[in-house]
Amino acid sequence: MHFSVRASFAILVCRLLRLVSRILHRGGTAMPGRVALRICPDLLSTLSRGVTTIAVTGTNGKTTTCRMIEEIFQNSGLDYFANRSGANLMSGIVTEFAMHANLSGHVKKQYAVIECDEGAARTVFGKLRPAAVVVTNLFRDQLDRYGEITHTLANIREGISGCPDALLCLNADCSLTSSLADASLPNRVVWYGIDSTAGVNEAPPALSDASYCIRCKHEYEYDYHTYAHLGGFRCPHCGYRRHEAEFAVTGILGMDENSSRVRFRGPWGEDDVTVNLPAVYNLYNAAAAICGCVSCGLQPEICMDSVGRFSCGFGRMERFPLGEAGACMILVKNPAGCSQALHYLTGTKEPFVLAACLNDRPADGTDVSWIWDADFESLAPLADRIRKIYVSGDRGPDMRIRLKYAGLPDASITLVERPDELAAALGRETLPVYILPTYTAMVELRSAVIRLCGGNEFWE
Amino acid sequence: MKCRICHLYPDVLNLYGDGGNIICLQQRLRWRGIESEVQRVPIGAPLRLADFDLVFIGGGQDFEQEVLLEDLKHGKADEIRAAISDDICMLAICGGYQMLGSYHETHDGKRFDFIGALDLYTRGSPDRMIGNTVYECLPACGGGTLVGFENHSGKTWLGSSVEPLAKVIAGSGNNGEDGTEGAHYRNVFCSYSHGPLLPKNPGFCDYLLQTALARRYGSAELAPLDDAAEKAAHDAMIRRVTSQAGSGRHKKK
Repeated sequence: MHFSVRASFAILVCRLLRLVSRILHRGGTAMPGRVALRICPDLLSTLSRGVTTIAVTGTNGKTTTCRMIEEIFQNSGLDYFANRSGANLMSGIVTEFAMHANLSGHVKKQYAVIECDEGAARTVFGKLRPAAVVVTNLFRDQLDRYGEITHTLANIREGISGCPDALLCLNADCSLTSSLADASLPNRVVWYGIDSTAGVNEAPPALSDASYCIRCKHEYEYDYHTYAHLGGFRCPHCGYRRHEAEFAVTGILGMDENSSRVRFRGPWGEDDVTVNLPAVYNLYNAAAAICGCVSCGLQPEICMDSVGRFSCGFGRMERFPLGEAGACMILVKNPAGCSQALHYLTGTKEPFVLAACLNDRPADGTDVSWIWDADFESLAPLADRIRKIYVSGDRGPDMRIRLKYAGLPDASITLVERPDELAAALGRETLPVYILPTYTAMVELRSAVIRLCGGNEFWE
Repeated sequence: MKCRICHLYPDVLNLYGDGGNIICLQQRLRWRGIESEVQRVPIGAPLRLADFDLVFIGGGQDFEQEVLLEDLKHGKADEIRAAISDDICMLAICGGYQMLGSYHETHDGKRFDFIGALDLYTRGSPDRMIGNTVYECLPACGGGTLVGFENHSGKTWLGSSVEPLAKVIAGSGNNGEDGTEGAHYRNVFCSYSHGPLLPKNPGFCDYLLQTALARRYGSAELAPLDDAAEKAAHDAMIRRVTSQAGSGRHKKK
């Protein structure tokens, strides 16, 4: 196969730019790839040859699922590389591949774990040609960027049509994600989910992203809801329904503030599995990771063991020794994820301090309306236990009125503008601190917190 | 005194935090000791608007439009038209706003006939009008400034019997061309602004409540509330939007 001089040059430039940006202490995760793509637009097709990749896309849980898959790869002794969540567009993915390639375009590692933005899937998948595509779920998120949830779904579908050999790992409980499995895509499909026997049965959400059948537009009926629109859905009109999941959580043995213990069924049988993160949505992430890896031929025992050992970090239930009682950072990006984070807070027992940081930069979504769709009202019964509230970020004043209208006393809310000021204020607290930041607010605040109490920047 | 609020089509018209408007209406009543009741009227449920003082209709995704149009045919369209001539107070946002007009012709030539309660129509455009907005609310709609966030590709044009809600200061408004935003007819107020609109515009929220309550109880004086936090968020948005040149960005689809 002929490898062009142009591609070699693109790889060289990419690697140099990354080196320079690291020397300048910038992340340099996407910019080098952007320049390389200018030089050689088809660079990814060339570099992805010979690399066995698991790609993860969907609205929520991409990063956590990828970190779990990484832990599985590591424990399986695979030589792999992975991109980081800030670099999940074409440019960031290309940067990561180029960093592991020599100038003749040969990638030195055999395996890759690639997180792919759901909007970028359309252009990335055909060039990436992954062995497996894991789709986590679809929720409304950043509609200012993608228009509508059905457009996002169409993007993913188009992406998958570019890689017909990829195995599809789909969330059986998400009616939107499940709809990817139809005659228009030849891909083999494996399913994961939470079975009704697990007894996760929440009240139906006040606001669902998918009340009506994606195929025939009649209202779904549900045997059970796990959270948001996920659960045992079926359309009484056309018969579209939840597919049985080969990889499924079948029982909950215990859940606390740090982890869950569950019964898990795979094609090999049923086992007890520990998931080293709390909350129902992380059970989906664990099921997705195990489904993807086992279907690609990795040992079930190693997969199940790994989700009990991994730590995610980077703002996903990440803990810091900040203040007297420590701080926990929970990234929030959209109503479904945010409501789950709030639900987690209602399950804690002790008094705490809350910090909510809202930015509206492109990576956060420039439309902050979504905070009104998240269930902040669930905090109102906790008002006595939430001893102090900080709001911060470019749209801190918006967050303040959201909390006020959710029924929390405005007098308990303090607006702090800058991330370093907020980190310092939180560092003086004696109670446990829970921080709910949007993406760019998380990146900034995390840096400020690390300067105070230690830890790694995300590219390290 | 009690304010009975109808949330029409919360199951399909619920985009971009529109439900925040309901939260805002209810809280501002509660803080004044006025009772309120919200009834959600989804697709398929019967609608009797004579039972209500205030109707809210939000925006939706195109995907669900056909479900909605089918449902309107079964009596709801007549009910809405009658309630409007009966001076019911109504707030309609984006898709809900378009729905009150005569029709929506999409960019690719598909025509959806709406209920024609208001003299206005919508034509799809290839550009999406997205971004933070600032408007000057007309005196007949309470006056003052309004801030919000718009996201629409439909361009709406008002007929002669309908007045705009506001004048555009920043953003696109109805169509990005004639400087108007929203519509006002009898006690119906329409806007393209999500945001959601009411929490950061407490004056406009109170104007709606006053209009709704005055219709039922003759007069309604609302006690003032401490709106410092709302005003701070409102003013922060105005400072930010007016300091950015051309904040309402257009995006090719």
